[in-house]
Amino acid sequence: MGHSSDTSGWLSGIRRGLLPDFPRGWAPLAGVVVALVFLVTTGLLAQQSKPNEYQVKATYLYNFGRFVRWPGTVSAGKGDSFSVCVIGRDPFGSILDSTLAGETLDGKPVVLRRISKPQDAGECRILFISSTEEKHLSEILAALDQSGVLTVSDIPGFTRRGGMIQFVLDGDRVRFEINLTSTESARLTLSSELLKVAASVKRNGRSGD
Amino acid sequence: MLLRTDNSISRKLTWMNMLVSGAALLLACASFITYDMLTFRATMVRNLSTQAQIIGSNSVSALLFNDSQSAENTLSALKAAHNILSAGIYSKDGVLFASYSRDPGNHNLAIPSLLRGQPEIHWFKNKEVVLVRSIVFEGKPTGTVCIRSDVEELDSGLKRYVVIASIVLAVCLVAALLVSSVFRRAVAEPIIHLAEVARAVSREKNYAVRATRTHGSGELAILIDAFNEMLAQIQQNESALREARDDLEQRVTERTAELERAKREVETFSFSILRAKEELERSSKFKDQFLSTMSHELRTPLNAVLGFSELLTEERYGPLNERQQRYVKHIHTGGKHLLRLINDILDLSKIEAGRLELTIENVPVPTSFAEVVDIMRSLADKKSQTLLQEAPSGLSVRADPTRFKQVLMNLIGNAIKFTPEGGAIRLLAHRLDEGVRVEVRDSGPGIPVEEQQRIFEAFYRLGETDKKTEGTGLGLAITRRLVELHGGTLGLESQPGSGSCFFFTLPVADAVVKPDVPASRREIRTPEFPRILVIEDDRAAALLLQSHLISAGYDVVLCDQPGRALEMAAELQPSAVTMDIIMKPVNGWELLSTFKTDPRTAGIPVVLVTIIDQPATGASLGADEYIVKPVEKATLLAAVERCMNHHKHIGRTRPILVVEDDAPTREFVGELLSKHGYVVTTATDGRQARAQVEASLPELVILDLILPEVSGFELLAEWRTNSRTAELPVFVLTSKDLTPGEQDYIRTHTAVLLQKQQPWQETLIAQLRRALPGVLSEKS
Repeated sequence: MGHSSDTSGWLSGIRRGLLPDFPRGWAPLAGVVVALVFLVTTGLLAQQSKPNEYQVKATYLYNFGRFVRWPGTVSAGKGDSFSVCVIGRDPFGSILDSTLAGETLDGKPVVLRRISKPQDAGECRILFISSTEEKHLSEILAALDQSGVLTVSDIPGFTRRGGMIQFVLDGDRVRFEINLTSTESARLTLSSELLKVAASVKRNGRSGD
Repeated sequence: MLLRTDNSISRKLTWMNMLVSGAALLLACASFITYDMLTFRATMVRNLSTQAQIIGSNSVSALLFNDSQSAENTLSALKAAHNILSAGIYSKDGVLFASYSRDPGNHNLAIPSLLRGQPEIHWFKNKEVVLVRSIVFEGKPTGTVCIRSDVEELDSGLKRYVVIASIVLAVCLVAALLVSSVFRRAVAEPIIHLAEVARAVSREKNYAVRATRTHGSGELAILIDAFNEMLAQIQQNESALREARDDLEQRVTERTAELERAKREVETFSFSILRAKEELERSSKFKDQFLSTMSHELRTPLNAVLGFSELLTEERYGPLNERQQRYVKHIHTGGKHLLRLINDILDLSKIEAGRLELTIENVPVPTSFAEVVDIMRSLADKKSQTLLQEAPSGLSVRADPTRFKQVLMNLIGNAIKFTPEGGAIRLLAHRLDEGVRVEVRDSGPGIPVEEQQRIFEAFYRLGETDKKTEGTGLGLAITRRLVELHGGTLGLESQPGSGSCFFFTLPVADAVVKPDVPASRREIRTPEFPRILVIEDDRAAALLLQSHLISAGYDVVLCDQPGRALEMAAELQPSAVTMDIIMKPVNGWELLSTFKTDPRTAGIPVVLVTIIDQPATGASLGADEYIVKPVEKATLLAAVERCMNHHKHIGRTRPILVVEDDAPTREFVGELLSKHGYVVTTATDGRQARAQVEASLPELVILDLILPEVSGFELLAEWRTNSRTAELPVFVLTSKDLTPGEQDYIRTHTAVLLQKQQPWQETLIAQLRRALPGVLSEKS
């Protein structure tokens, strides 16, 4: 909260320059009101800026869609919607639903689908593989080979085992690792911006850093 | 002086050049710098904006994936730009995500929410520019970037520009100075030269110099040409003027000499005029003196002649035989004629010399008419002529009363003279618009037309051959002049065979209720005057009696109602009563007997004045005097005086002092006074008179004015300043013609003024009676 009081001071300075002057007697009152408003709003922001891990992961899932380019044939073959699929037991609960609700990606409305079999993932663009599916991982990845699905999971060693993007925790910060070999073999193009912010970028399980 | 003028114009030119070029340059530099600064600022903002965009797009993924390290890496690229003070990236929620600062501790604290929907804003503040830009990724606001930059570059740019501008200005001004020196040669020097020439011309009056012409045909050349031309004209005019002046000087000299000559002539002439005027004045003075002397010297012996001849006819000093009586009468008549002639001549000369002065006052016409008619009646009676007068009562004129009567008497006298026996003469007056017309009509033979103008000339006598009409021939001439002096004209209407009418007009006076009594008489009136009651029911007759009695110094009360007469007399207790017989409702006989039986009135003397000639009846009824009408003034006064004297007591016996240098006159006056019962002493000159008055105060003084050694005026002045003699009554009896000033003086300081040219004896006695009522001795 150290910077919020600074902000209010700075702000009052700006206001004094930009807005018409209050009558002289009102100035202290106005200062108090502004300070109160900021205390409240910054308090709310502070609460919101501390989302839980899956909230962050849900947002990231959506953002991955914005930095990945699918080949034209693939996007054409995947229907009129942009499907984000979850396989296995859904760790997000309703968070993912609310995060994706009303969004568009690649010019199409985003829909969330929960699937149980890898065969159902044919129309998915992004597939989050729950940690419950760790045993069937190889099987799932094999089923999706060459099908243009961006695979994301927080299963440890996911990228090493052929997955594309794996969430990792750096302290309480959620970060991710990328396996470029997997994405390239699926003919997906990842934006350099995405690569720039990745915790590590690997090829065939080796770290690319 | 030359230097100053030189400086003035070239300095002005230089200043003008410098100021114009300096001002133009300053303006140009200022606008150029302003424009450049504005451009510079815009460029700066554009650069900042570009930088913000780059940073923004490079920080999108860092923001989306919460990688502040990556964002800070991006920001650290700003190190290359030295002007960037600090920069910051803020998350969508406005939380500082990554920051960069050129100097440690200089934090950027901008709030992205200030954008309010705009993609970018910037502002300059405290030598800084701040730019805030939102980071948008795929149409969604992702965060905000904020960059603060200093404006050092702007400042240094400005400084550089100012230095450059100063140098340019300095160089340009030096150039302008050089250019102006060229201008000075081209413009100022010809003007200075022109000014020098003009000054030389005005100082030395040398119109022969010319200004040097410059090349070309510009305004300066025209100016110099015009100036030279002007000089040429002035030179020409001046030489013409000088010639004219020389000529003029010559002429002035000549004219002055002429004037001098003329002046000398005029002086000589005026001197002679002055001498002539002095001579004229002297001769005029001589003439006046002569007139004055004549009037005195001629009248004095005549008065003696007249007075003594009159005394002789009274046979006081022994009886005269018939022949003696006749001769004395001739002497008296001749003397009277001579006196009239002398008076007329003196009057006429005075009028002609303009020395007759009138004392104008309100004169009641009926009173004057009554007096004149009374005087003239005896003359008319001698020719059995009727003399009538008619004037509205209350009518007055503005005139000198003496001269008015003189005019009337002259005209009536004339009419009597030329009207045959038994004729009629009428004296009329009536009111016109602004004046009073007075007419004297007679029933005479009339005057032929050819003579009507000439009769007014002096010494002209109608019917020259007719020797039986006596006269001086001056009457009408004097009358006419007198009327003219009053502002009127004397006119004549006449036709042979039907009489003549002389008429004149005088200004009307405001109606006076009471008859205006002449001042000299009014002054000495006191309640002691003997009062006479006039009982007469005919108004004209009553007025005539009143006039006579007043002139003799009596206080007159009129009674026109016989019924009231007794009561009035009882109340007033008059000294005497005059009474008519034929009256209504009570006639005079009855009234008289009532008077004499009433104890209140029995002692009052009664004078019967009537046309009934029955003196015996009157006497039997107790009347004291009996007068038959028409009444002569002298008869009336004598009768009244006799009545009075019966009732006088013997008074004091202080003498009356007669001061007179002319022995006959002195003796005559003495005789006259003794006759009336007064005691008289005499003095032959002023010195004697003074001594006598000092020795013993007389009752009264009769004083002549013209006396040897000490004049009457001197005596009068002495007596009036001495308290002992201040109240001494003085009568002035003189034959001197007095000026109005002298008359005023005498009237102020004496009781009575008598002039010998008028009949004066009666007046003297009347005034004495009035002034000394108790002095009379019982008549022997």
